[in-house]
Amino acid sequence: MLLLQLLVNGLQLGAIYGLTAVGFALIFGSTKVFHVAHGASFTLAGYLFWWGMTALKWHWLASVALAVVAVVLFGLFMERFIYRPIQRHEGAFFTVFIAAFGMQIVVQNLVGTVFGRGFETVSAELSRSVEIAPNLFVAPIAAVAIAVGLVFYFGLNLFLARTQVGTGLRALSDNPDLVRIFGLEPTRLAQVAFALGSALVVPAAALTAVSQGINPGMGSHIMLISLAATIVGGIGSLKGAAMGGMLLGLAESVAVWKLDPQWSEAVTFVVLFVFIIFRPAGFLGRAQNAK
Amino acid sequence: MKLPKLLGLLAATSIFAASPLRAQDIRIGANLPMSGPNAEYGEQFAGAAAIAVEHANADKMLSKKLVLLIEDSQATPQQGVVAMNKLVNVDKVPYVLSAFTGVSKAIAPVGDKAHVVSINGGGVSPDLAELGDYFWNVIPLVNFEVQAFAPYLIKERGWKKVALIYVDDPAGEAVKKELEIHVPKNGGSLVTALQVPRASQQFSGIAAKVRESQPDVVFIASFGAQQAQIIKQLRDNGVKQQIASYSAFSIPAVLQLPEAKGALFPTQSINWAADALSQRLASDWKAKKGKEPNAYTANYYNAVMVFVKLAQALEKAGLPITGENLLKQRLRSASFDVAGGRMVFLPNGTVSMPLQLNEVDNGTTKVVKANLAPN
Repeated sequence: MLLLQLLVNGLQLGAIYGLTAVGFALIFGSTKVFHVAHGASFTLAGYLFWWGMTALKWHWLASVALAVVAVVLFGLFMERFIYRPIQRHEGAFFTVFIAAFGMQIVVQNLVGTVFGRGFETVSAELSRSVEIAPNLFVAPIAAVAIAVGLVFYFGLNLFLARTQVGTGLRALSDNPDLVRIFGLEPTRLAQVAFALGSALVVPAAALTAVSQGINPGMGSHIMLISLAATIVGGIGSLKGAAMGGMLLGLAESVAVWKLDPQWSEAVTFVVLFVFIIFRPAGFLGRAQNAK
Repeated sequence: MKLPKLLGLLAATSIFAASPLRAQDIRIGANLPMSGPNAEYGEQFAGAAAIAVEHANADKMLSKKLVLLIEDSQATPQQGVVAMNKLVNVDKVPYVLSAFTGVSKAIAPVGDKAHVVSINGGGVSPDLAELGDYFWNVIPLVNFEVQAFAPYLIKERGWKKVALIYVDDPAGEAVKKELEIHVPKNGGSLVTALQVPRASQQFSGIAAKVRESQPDVVFIASFGAQQAQIIKQLRDNGVKQQIASYSAFSIPAVLQLPEAKGALFPTQSINWAADALSQRLASDWKAKKGKEPNAYTANYYNAVMVFVKLAQALEKAGLPITGENLLKQRLRSASFDVAGGRMVFLPNGTVSMPLQLNEVDNGTTKVVKANLAPN
């Protein structure tokens, strides 16, 4: 029963990791910007959702909307005022990385200063588990997390497949110059990628605020997981990132079954190393697809 | 605005925000977590120390203005050593407030070599009693807490099966070591001991393991935001047993968490109405922070006040305020009337203080046992 419990927990965690990883993969896949500050978007979203729900006493939909607006603006700000100038002048990958990493720290400290540096949570019945079988506890939020993950994932795929902007985004990841020839503006498409990718962290952050609680330093951890999920899933593949997030969530949770809990997070990176060594293109990476 | 300009603006803001320093000021340092997941402690510790500095300056207790220089340890040993080196070698302070076991153990050799006193009011590992002459503690260490708490849990309340969740740092290890001794000694058993990484935020699997071990009481030995996350996720995931911990529970993140209601933890006994000094601290703390003071408030206020009293004596004797002279003076006069009552330093730099047992109760604590004596 313990294994079943850990699998259920892992599915919930995997859905949250998957959503965040898909956002990161969308941005990185389309624009080739290593947006480490994606973790900062997650922190911002979590805190604004919590603030809307607890301090402003807003409906959860309004709180989600507040978080979406804020992180989309943050994503657009990063693209327009941080990454684009760096890329225009030198475009060094390392400079982009350091700038994004620095912004992650700035946001972490700003959030701590504004909202406090302690632990916050949105208290909701959704997160309270009920015993559905002897010693098997499941909270309604697990089902919500999985459903939300599926809805957003398939919604995004539909958007990318059926709309002109979506087609443009996919084309941008392959050949920005060709995109321009077809009359589309790569910078505009990059902004769409940042807006969409950032917005995708909101459901994950809101679910985390309810199920685990939040603190200003949480962004770094979620960023590491997103990055690992993107690599495990295959860089450039949204489906791969979603699968990678789910695999890492399951691995982190199930690791406790036989290993000391100390190893639960290390297992995430063991999975990553296994993929890097034996399947560097990930589940569905480009190198694999190109064969 | 271009990034370099933005960074320049931020740097300028922080420079102008700092208090002006004068050569004739008496300076002491504080090596506290002001950022990162444990910054909530740093804010609390620094706030209490700042009130002590205000009181010392308002009452002109020293011949010159007392200034507190705060460096950010981020609660990590590496950053703590960087901060300590700056305080010792650049700012040349004779006395540094410290916190967290890992940080304290890392900075103690730096202070010892430079003959700079480090004084801890937050870390509780028993190892902190063995860091040399220049490392002092104004907080009872966790071995005293566990020695007093274990008999209460097992004998008085009848909770014989104890599950432990402990963080992988010296404080967590110290609690485990003490429970391994004192739980069996009092007729109980440690049914499981689950170690968690410091940065871990996901505890639903831990909750499943705890449920499987069927304990009577769950002892949490972590600190900062992680404690609150553990409590919430234990409760959300079906763990209904009594929760217990050590003095690290004295932070708003835990006290204000609805799921933490009823949790038990010991701290040193503080009587806020004991004397004018305690009342003044309690009143100023409430006015500034809008909440009740706790043991940490007293510890960091007292850490500064111990310096002030030692420095007063040195000034009276016409001696310079150096770490070496502060140590000699403390060995001459080991007893101090400070906030919360009388504090007596033992020869190894630790303090002997009475303990009390607290219960989390809707954002604050109530004392459930006033004199919790070690077994």
